[in-house]
Amino acid sequence: MRLNILIGGKAGQGINKVSGIIAETLVKNGYYIFNYRDYPSIIRGGNNFNIVSISDRPIASHESAIDVVIALDEDTIKIHKSSLKKDGLILAYKDFSGLGLNTNVALAGSLIKVLGFDNKVLASVVKAKIKNKLSVDALTEGYNKQTSKFNLKVLNNQISILSGSSAIAKGAINSKIDMYFAYPMTPATGVSEMLAKDQLKNNCLVFQPEGEISAINMALGASFSGARTMVGTSGGGYDLMSEGLSLQGMSQIPLVVYLASRPGPATGLPTYSMQGDLEIALRSGHGEFPRIVVAPGDPDEAMEKVNEAFYLSEKFGALSILLSDKHLAESEFSLFSKNKKTLPVVVKRLIPGQGVVKVSGYESDADGLATEDPKIAIKNADNRLKKYQAIKKECQKLEMIKIYGKADSKNLVIGWGSTKGAIVDAIDGEDFKFLQVLYMMPMSNQIKSEILAAKNVILVETNLTGQLGRLIREKTGLKIEKRILKYDGRPFKSDELKQELLNKLKS
Amino acid sequence: MDKPGVQFRTNQKITWCPGCPDHIILESARRTLISLVEQGYNKNNFAMAAGIGCHGKIFDYLNISGIYALHGRAIPTAIGMKMGNPNLELLVFAGDGDTYAEGMAHFIHACRFNPDLTLFVNDNQSFSLTTGQATPTSQPGFKSNLEPLGNFNSPLNPIHLALSAGASFVARCNANDIEHTRMVMEAAIKHKGFSFVEILQDCVVFNLYVNNKDRLMYKLPEAKRTLKKALALSQEYDYINNKGKIPLGIFYAQPRPSLDEEWPQLVNLKNKKVGWGGLKK
Ligand SMILES: Cc1ncc(C[n+]2csc(CCOP(=O)(O)OP(=O)(O)O)c2C)c(N)n1
Repeated sequence: MRLNILIGGKAGQGINKVSGIIAETLVKNGYYIFNYRDYPSIIRGGNNFNIVSISDRPIASHESAIDVVIALDEDTIKIHKSSLKKDGLILAYKDFSGLGLNTNVALAGSLIKVLGFDNKVLASVVKAKIKNKLSVDALTEGYNKQTSKFNLKVLNNQISILSGSSAIAKGAINSKIDMYFAYPMTPATGVSEMLAKDQLKNNCLVFQPEGEISAINMALGASFSGARTMVGTSGGGYDLMSEGLSLQGMSQIPLVVYLASRPGPATGLPTYSMQGDLEIALRSGHGEFPRIVVAPGDPDEAMEKVNEAFYLSEKFGALSILLSDKHLAESEFSLFSKNKKTLPVVVKRLIPGQGVVKVSGYESDADGLATEDPKIAIKNADNRLKKYQAIKKECQKLEMIKIYGKADSKNLVIGWGSTKGAIVDAIDGEDFKFLQVLYMMPMSNQIKSEILAAKNVILVETNLTGQLGRLIREKTGLKIEKRILKYDGRPFKSDELKQELLNKLKS
Repeated sequence: MDKPGVQFRTNQKITWCPGCPDHIILESARRTLISLVEQGYNKNNFAMAAGIGCHGKIFDYLNISGIYALHGRAIPTAIGMKMGNPNLELLVFAGDGDTYAEGMAHFIHACRFNPDLTLFVNDNQSFSLTTGQATPTSQPGFKSNLEPLGNFNSPLNPIHLALSAGASFVARCNANDIEHTRMVMEAAIKHKGFSFVEILQDCVVFNLYVNNKDRLMYKLPEAKRTLKKALALSQEYDYINNKGKIPLGIFYAQPRPSLDEEWPQLVNLKNKKVGWGGLKK
């Protein structure tokens, strides 16, 4: 069973808010959800919409064919009518003139009735999330206006909801983060806000400096003093941080960088999603120095990989880059697996206050004093390389790739990051195997053997040039000819992706 | 390394030009630290961030903890160090090119944020390590290989700027005057909040035109001044030529809550006398 509900209206009409309320209500009724959020960079007006996909089985994507459109304005009907299934339903604002800002809640009431649920769960969620007495009256009014159509039963599944951003913040808190430095930039801001909200409770500090250059240099300073430190930004801000990344490479001060991508170049499509920044994650910052680049594909992995990023940077004095994008950061996912063990992030190095400890952006000797001695230059460079080998070895103890789908299929799909949900859902029940790359640097040796064992290999990425494909070619010498690349800033929908995958097999 | 005379020195060979006032600034800084340790400061708690330029080499010669930061970024690096452990006594050594060209935003925002640390800017009105180009405090007409037609800009007045941006301690020294510089350095470090100390220095190789201005300098009497009075005093010197009076000493000192007094997390660290690294969570 699977349904897709589109909730649309103008920015400021509470679209995302009510979508979250609907998702939570459905989860509390035992259904798995995926809540996709689509909005332009407009504070008031425009057309915002969410697609809440629901199922009685785990899902992590939305689909193109819509069962119910909830329209808070006329534009939503005009724009999205064509996506509606033949027997689809429109629940529209017109039924509730006079409810003002509570129209969204009234429509949520109508939806819950149409789906066939009791309105008690919805009422409790609304009460907790909207401090407005009239909202419960509004949802009752909406509820009573409809009759049940889908007749869904309450299921006995224990599910919670988490966005990618919340998961990253949680992972950081599990790792005992001390300081987070960030300048506002969509879609990275979610993590800053999550961490900032409970900073006193969690005993950490979130600081907004005058820009990203300051953020990364402050972060290096704080980490040097002994704080478990992370910075967060998106492409443009990350570019500004590049020189700081390079200082990390020389000084070997532990640092975790969260890079949440959106489509570029430049300001691009600021509120949309793209996997266009893998290469800057891998290579930005001048000079040659080790780093870790890891790209989780869902909130569960995000929590785990943030922790690994902290663990590895502290253990090796290394740069860990956690690569995400708007689709992972701002979508809401069903969470149902148990929390895994957290790796301890312990600061054991000598820190200022304990004695003289000096680190330098210059090539330096054992005391941290600048040197131009060629022998020391070689030794230090060799040590940077050795460190990367040690990191690689340690990473082999972690999950660097994952395999989904039919284990013995000869049709291999390769992807990374936020495309995971759509791919896993698209290949469900089909003759495909999916190789998800989590560690981009270092990279698992198993990728090569998986590719060699397959008959058809299809690369799936949301970017223009297939950056993971290029990286795999660099590491394995193997070129992936079949590619499905999407670069309109919108994520894959699993039903469309399934068609594309099947078409690729035929081509 | 702790014998008198060599206290706070490292074994690194000093590579400043013979006669460069940077040697003297190092000595003032060293004496400041010695004096503060005598007064009970913990020598392990001193830490620094240095910019990139001739001035920055002090990093290798002063034996305290720190980061030899990126060009223009010593200020945010030091603010981070301070937030990482607010019990540290942070010194920033930066240059005029470093601070007012590459790192200007950080200078202004440090005045606003008011972190409890001290910024020393060695102002030789030249990018010296890159062989003498004009900085934001160079005089108009200053010619270099990069600007053979001469610099067209008027110099910035950093004292005036710092005061306008909200710095809570603003002072000026003459690099050649070890003892006065030491006194000002000490007062700046003791001040709670962001302290800015401009150290006027000659460069013995580049932009010689602005050198030899000691005769124009006079020491401000110690006094509590209003911002208005301090701003007026800041205008006595225009950085352009060797005319006019050059006031030295503390222009303005008016404590207000510093960054580590505002953030409850940092107050907690100070009360516990630890940095984040020593905090049990
Ligand atoms: C990002 C960056 N840009 C440029 C440089 C080159 N650079 C090194 S020192 C310097 C000038 C330093 O001038 P100043 O700060 O006035 O110090 P001084 O050498 O005069 O003491 C420059 C531009 C650099 N190291 N990094």
